[in-house]
Amino acid sequence: MTTTTLKLNLGPQHPSTHGVLRLLLELKGEKILSCEPDIGYLHRGMEKMAEKMTYLQYLPTVDRIDYLAGFFYSELLCRIVEKAMEVELPDKVRAIRVMLLELNRIASHLLWVGAFLMDLGAVSPFFYVFREREMILRFFEKLTGQRMMYNYFVFGGVRRDIDFLDGVEEIISILPKKIDDYEKIITENPIFLRRTVGKGILEPEIAFNYAITGVNLRASGVDYDYRNSDDLYRGFDFRTVVLEEKDSWARYKARISEMRECVNIVGQALDYLKRAGVLEQRLINPLNLKLPAGDYYSEIEAPRGLACCYVRSDGGEKPYRLKWRTGSYYSVNLLRKLLVGEYLNDAVAIAGSLDIILPEVDK
Amino acid sequence: MLNEWKNLWLGLWTVFKHLFKKPVTLEYPEKKRVLNGNFRGKPQVSGCIGCGICKKVCPSGAISFAKDENGKVYSYKFDLKKCIFCGNCSFYCPKGAIRMGDEYELACADASELELIYEGGCNDK
Repeated sequence: MTTTTLKLNLGPQHPSTHGVLRLLLELKGEKILSCEPDIGYLHRGMEKMAEKMTYLQYLPTVDRIDYLAGFFYSELLCRIVEKAMEVELPDKVRAIRVMLLELNRIASHLLWVGAFLMDLGAVSPFFYVFREREMILRFFEKLTGQRMMYNYFVFGGVRRDIDFLDGVEEIISILPKKIDDYEKIITENPIFLRRTVGKGILEPEIAFNYAITGVNLRASGVDYDYRNSDDLYRGFDFRTVVLEEKDSWARYKARISEMRECVNIVGQALDYLKRAGVLEQRLINPLNLKLPAGDYYSEIEAPRGLACCYVRSDGGEKPYRLKWRTGSYYSVNLLRKLLVGEYLNDAVAIAGSLDIILPEVDK
Repeated sequence: MLNEWKNLWLGLWTVFKHLFKKPVTLEYPEKKRVLNGNFRGKPQVSGCIGCGICKKVCPSGAISFAKDENGKVYSYKFDLKKCIFCGNCSFYCPKGAIRMGDEYELACADASELELIYEGGCNDK
């Protein structure tokens, strides 16, 4: 008897591949023998673009690297310039930035919960998470002027002071109850459990080999969170969520728990901002900004793993070379390993659980 | 088994309760949201002195100036087809001449409508 294998294209326009990801699967029956991710459909040349632009011109465009967590990439570029110009951030600026970053992380995780559940066939949570995310986006819009492309962080500080905090108070009072609601619908649901428990097990050794960071790594039992050693988060008290289960369910649970922890951090920043006086910051004049020649590096714990920015400056107004490291890029590569031996109907569920976002992969 | 049914019904009950809540969406375009004054929409220009800082900070090259034969700036052109509404021009304008307005429905049949030309505004240099 001869056995044949089937090659199947999943994507790039498949609704559940979260953007334009193409997975070339080799199947034997329903079982996946190999997986080859094909990326690059959303490549915008973010790194090459930087070489033609001044640092100030480049700053508004970096929000587009990850449109669900734009603040993180603005923060990375600002950090590069602040490090090069040796500027220390005042405490109020730090508190504002931490609050916005954590709200952004919650918004990103919320959308992930909705999209992941949609992959598994549950439609209602998708609408509920959008309702809660809307509260956060309304606040961002009021503060920065836009809902997703913020361009709010500037070199040495922020664009304007926050003089209204009632929106954030509402968010942190409502959100924990809503997360309880999601957990009632999802966490112990037998259908959800059968589709996620024991599926896509990510052993820590494999995660290390594939350079996986962020929630995906922490859901595999590795206690690594860059926020613990990040200077921006100095003085904030929070817990690192680490789970031992290593499967898709653990990655879901870790994100849910991390959202609760983010609410806690936002609460601490809010308490500080209520007491803090007027914003005093020393902005770097960006108009003729030239970074001293040398290499600069910054990193931050983004919602999809460790994000880094590396800049080589030749002393000019524009970067000589700029490189981004984004978490999703490594998660996509992991699919080569994680999908092998699984069934086709679990492929989307496992890929969804890794929280891949394609603009971040293709840059 | 009993536990599974219990959890299933708990989830369904949570979803069911939403049937009796008010809708959170708005029937666009019949109803529109009230924007706060901080929104970054179509830019408005008045009182430009033609210093060119906005052109320098613009990431997408949406701003251009036209000069007469004496080299004097006489018109200011804002190309909304290229604009990414980042607000850099407005933030760094030394005279506060550019204001990001509330207008966001910019679809039009004629592309030339998206080129905002402010003439004469830059002559006082």
